Amino acid sequence: MDDNKVLIDANNVTMRFKLPNQKISNLKEMFVKFIKRKLKYRDFYALKDVSVKISKGESLAIIGRNGSGKSTLLKILTQIVKPTSGSVKVYSSNIVPLLQLGAGFDMNSTGYQNVYLNGAILGFSKKEIDQKMEEIVNFAELHDFMNVELKNYSQGMLARLGFAIAISCNPEILIIDEILAVGDTAFQKKCYEKLKELKDKGITFIIVSHSEVVKEMCTRAIWIKDGQKVMDGDINAVYDAYIDFLSTGNSL
Amino acid sequence: MDKSKSNIKKYAYLLKVLIDRDIRNQYAGSFLGALWTVLNPLLNMIVMAIVFINIFGNNSISLDYPVYVLAGNIIFNMFRSGSEGALTSVVDQRDLLSKTKVPLYIIPMSRVGSSIVTFLFSYVALIIVMIIRIPAGVSFHLSMLMVIVLLPALILFTLGFAFFLSSFFVSFRDIKHFYSVILTLWMYLTPLFYSLDALNLSSTLMKILQINPMYNFVLYFRETLMGIGTDWSTLGICYLWGIVLFGIGYLIFELRKNKLLLEA
Repeated sequence: MDDNKVLIDANNVTMRFKLPNQKISNLKEMFVKFIKRKLKYRDFYALKDVSVKISKGESLAIIGRNGSGKSTLLKILTQIVKPTSGSVKVYSSNIVPLLQLGAGFDMNSTGYQNVYLNGAILGFSKKEIDQKMEEIVNFAELHDFMNVELKNYSQGMLARLGFAIAISCNPEILIIDEILAVGDTAFQKKCYEKLKELKDKGITFIIVSHSEVVKEMCTRAIWIKDGQKVMDGDINAVYDAYIDFLSTGNSL
Repeated sequence: MDKSKSNIKKYAYLLKVLIDRDIRNQYAGSFLGALWTVLNPLLNMIVMAIVFINIFGNNSISLDYPVYVLAGNIIFNMFRSGSEGALTSVVDQRDLLSKTKVPLYIIPMSRVGSSIVTFLFSYVALIIVMIIRIPAGVSFHLSMLMVIVLLPALILFTLGFAFFLSSFFVSFRDIKHFYSVILTLWMYLTPLFYSLDALNLSSTLMKILQINPMYNFVLYFRETLMGIGTDWSTLGICYLWGIVLFGIGYLIFELRKNKLLLEA
């Protein structure tokens, strides 16, 4: 077993957004401003010079306040978007991003049709999805609803189906963005148990979360503040420092 | 290029599923469901034939008029629904695009794909009309098979527009309204329910109107129905338009790719 193989290597990643200083609502306005050279942009750095190395089998939590750049970091690590500068190398072909449960679900289609749709989005063929179908339906506990259109599903049911599909694809790296806050407690517990089971099998995790559950799930944490990495290390140390900061920050 | 070729293979199933969804959604909740894909062009054609047969008549049109009208319309509609559908596609699917690793190009492609499927159903409607019009002198020719040769050119042409429009709609929402006006103008400049020969135009104006790529697509398609499949020069013009537009559209799409996700 090659346990220390680096799977994701991100170096000096910076993500800059250009935000217009004044709100421009139509083409005419923009044209006039452009001619007069008054179109000024404000640079907004969602991430500044962040480097992360993730090795095989690691379970990493990314913590930080809302808007600190966690989700942007995930999108860059999964190579959905390219950073403004810096490099990202991913040494795995089986990386499954779970940034939103059931991203791409079609509300007018049935449960079955959506399993095929979502499976295809994750890169699977019909044959592969056929083989997983039973496992997915069992895990989601939606036997009676698979022929029902998704618009009649509750939020919790949607989350269950989305999670069941994602978990069935045996990822090498699973990237999860605060998606387990939905669903009832029993299903959440089931999800975390499944994640632990996968972890024991050697899957690499990256989880963005605010809840304390990450302490059980992860061994390492990164704290992102205003787009910068302020701490990287053992989960307990980083998480406690973050909670400390939050409580002092709130009392100010 | 090699990489995107293997990606196309990998995502072929995804493309199929997305097209399925598009088609299903067009007729979601309707009582007749998928039957509308054939019924819709059929009924539209009947309306058009009734309205225009008295205005433009049959003179100088060598194809049965209802067949002539329907043939023009299903070709133009494939281009129209493909390019117009793709226009907003990247913005419509931004959730999917920003949360999953789905390649960007597959989204406008799927819209063009569903316009191809709609075209095939419309072709069935056309054959039904042709059978009904057999007493009026319509006959079937082997050259109808040449539509298979024409389609790739039309698909390339539509894809070119789809890539170009969808990449610009992300930053300039105005082009949606602009393009619908252009399409209306374009539709009337293309001889769908009239014939250029019947208009008594000067030869210069005639030449200008014949540059219109849609004129060439429609012309060749009608010729296949009339038993002529060997008009290589018209077919060549169709392919030239298709390849050039696809090249330009795809290039612009690739260049703007990184910006699209951030702005959508």
